[in-house]
Amino acid sequence: MDRLLARFAQEVDTAVEIVTIYEKAGIQKELVDEEYFLSLQSTHPSSAWFERKIHDDFGLKIAKGYDNRPFWQHETMPSITAMKKSFQATSQIERSTTPQPYRYKTIKGEGVFQVSVGPIHAGIIEPGHFHFSQAGEQILHLDIRHGYKYRGIEKMCEGKSLDALFPLLSRVSGNESIAYQIALYQLKEQALKKEITPNLTHAILLELERLVHHCTDIGFIPNDAGFGAALSMASLLAEESKRILFTLTQSRFGFESIGKDIALQHKKNELQTYIDKMNSEIQWFENWIMDIPSLWDRLDTTGILTAKQALLYDTVGVVARASGLKLDRRDSSFYRHYGYALQREKKGDVAARFILRIKEIKNSLKIIENMLNDVTEYQIIEEKTYHDGEYLSYVESSIGELMMYLKLKEGVVERLFIRDPSFINWQVLHLMMPRDIIADFPLINKSCDLSYAGADL
Amino acid sequence: MIKFWKKRIQNKLLTEHLTHDKTLSTLQKELKSSIAKQFASSLNIRMVDSGSCNACESECNALSNPYYNLERLGIQFVASPRHADVLLVSGVNTFNMHPHLLDAYAQMPSPKYVITIGDCPLTETSVYEDSFAIVGDVAKHLPVAHHISGCPPSPDEIIVGLLEFLKGLDKS
Repeated sequence: MDRLLARFAQEVDTAVEIVTIYEKAGIQKELVDEEYFLSLQSTHPSSAWFERKIHDDFGLKIAKGYDNRPFWQHETMPSITAMKKSFQATSQIERSTTPQPYRYKTIKGEGVFQVSVGPIHAGIIEPGHFHFSQAGEQILHLDIRHGYKYRGIEKMCEGKSLDALFPLLSRVSGNESIAYQIALYQLKEQALKKEITPNLTHAILLELERLVHHCTDIGFIPNDAGFGAALSMASLLAEESKRILFTLTQSRFGFESIGKDIALQHKKNELQTYIDKMNSEIQWFENWIMDIPSLWDRLDTTGILTAKQALLYDTVGVVARASGLKLDRRDSSFYRHYGYALQREKKGDVAARFILRIKEIKNSLKIIENMLNDVTEYQIIEEKTYHDGEYLSYVESSIGELMMYLKLKEGVVERLFIRDPSFINWQVLHLMMPRDIIADFPLINKSCDLSYAGADL
Repeated sequence: MIKFWKKRIQNKLLTEHLTHDKTLSTLQKELKSSIAKQFASSLNIRMVDSGSCNACESECNALSNPYYNLERLGIQFVASPRHADVLLVSGVNTFNMHPHLLDAYAQMPSPKYVITIGDCPLTETSVYEDSFAIVGDVAKHLPVAHHISGCPPSPDEIIVGLLEFLKGLDKS
């Protein structure tokens, strides 16, 4: 089956066009001349959220879909078709006094009850809503609702020049800031009709970002199983990684660092010291954590996603690779030259995602070390003559494949569509639940560690 | 377990910025109002993300790592607004989060304070423009007692900000 990458709509003159992007078949377009468009949900379940977003963006109805609820138009938000050109981004909207109740998908029956969690959760975490149907401790179904952080980013980008977008896109999803910037940078290169050449400085920063994210996760996953010592140990590694990012880019998250000369060639010693330290620390961490049977009792066989399910739902990134799929945008001769090897696991449970992260940390350290030898002066692009057209870019962020679609018209952004890896992966999370109890939910959720901000935009 | 304890002994004390302890103990002596005195030895914070990029949350999580070790100062993050003295708000205050933010504040017992964190909650410093999906300026909707600026503020800047807030408690 051809993998579905994205589905969205855009205005062409006065008509609305649905754009569907597949891995092999590429970009498919169809003009909508009715009030509705045909759903793909029966063959690609992951098209559901894309289509729900199209519904909110342009007010089109979803025909023959099993899920046609609003996405970012919450109860008190009036019906606006925000992505139509006639709608101004700066317009003020009034809160509706007749809220439309949201229909949660639930399982009903004798003794079955509902547990609502969120949008504000019991930790330092982003807002989202989880609606469980429970039979005692057993999870029967989980319905996930997002859109709380909807900031209208795609609309905000329209009418702007590409260079003006870097500060904003740096701050869409803090965990993936560098990936977002590289994706934008690649769009810029294409619009300048330059050949996309792999850039060592960018690649090193991207791996550092992955290290921050993965190191945070290998602490938080055991922590959610009640093993706090792992969080203390792993958070030290995450802190070291943030500090080296700060040394290189003057921002602990690498905000606004792509496209600028950060003179990496003069900071090789600092990076080498960091890598040596990390190599020994992660080895110690692995040896130690593999020896804690009570922890593995919780991680093994929890939250299983089979390869078949992962494929059906078009999942990407860590989630897909932990279920055995060979899917990584870094899988190229350029990366392989520097020691990259596609890491994957077969079991698809929390343990597999945990082990995969440790493996990827080790591989990233190796990649950075090898790349470091070849880093030379950074070439800043000075040209500003952008060519109109449609461009696509892909970057493997710490979560998974990030995709951006850009339509440039008269030198400014006509439409920018961002497909965060989380947007796809969130839709498969409920399949990991039915064999587990509600107390396992935080553990499963953390093992995927998806971005809320990236999914909401 | 032996592996772990060996490592602990090898690592020794990792906590940095130990001057904060001194600042806090002086504060505890100098503060006059009884509320301020109590808060200076035990401050419970409920963090609410009203539409941030998750960087501020990431830095608040980093506060509990051994380098910053915030809890030693008696400051801790709690799971419910009903346990909290301070509502720490990050993010741009989106249209969809706004009612929930007000809800969280309403659920807190008095005396209660609001602290904003990061550049987003202030319209002037936010990288996000005014838009239909953003209600904006938290201070227009909640009584903000203190602001910790930065995009995102580093963990140390957050600690300094929280101590400053405690210092200012006597005046309010």
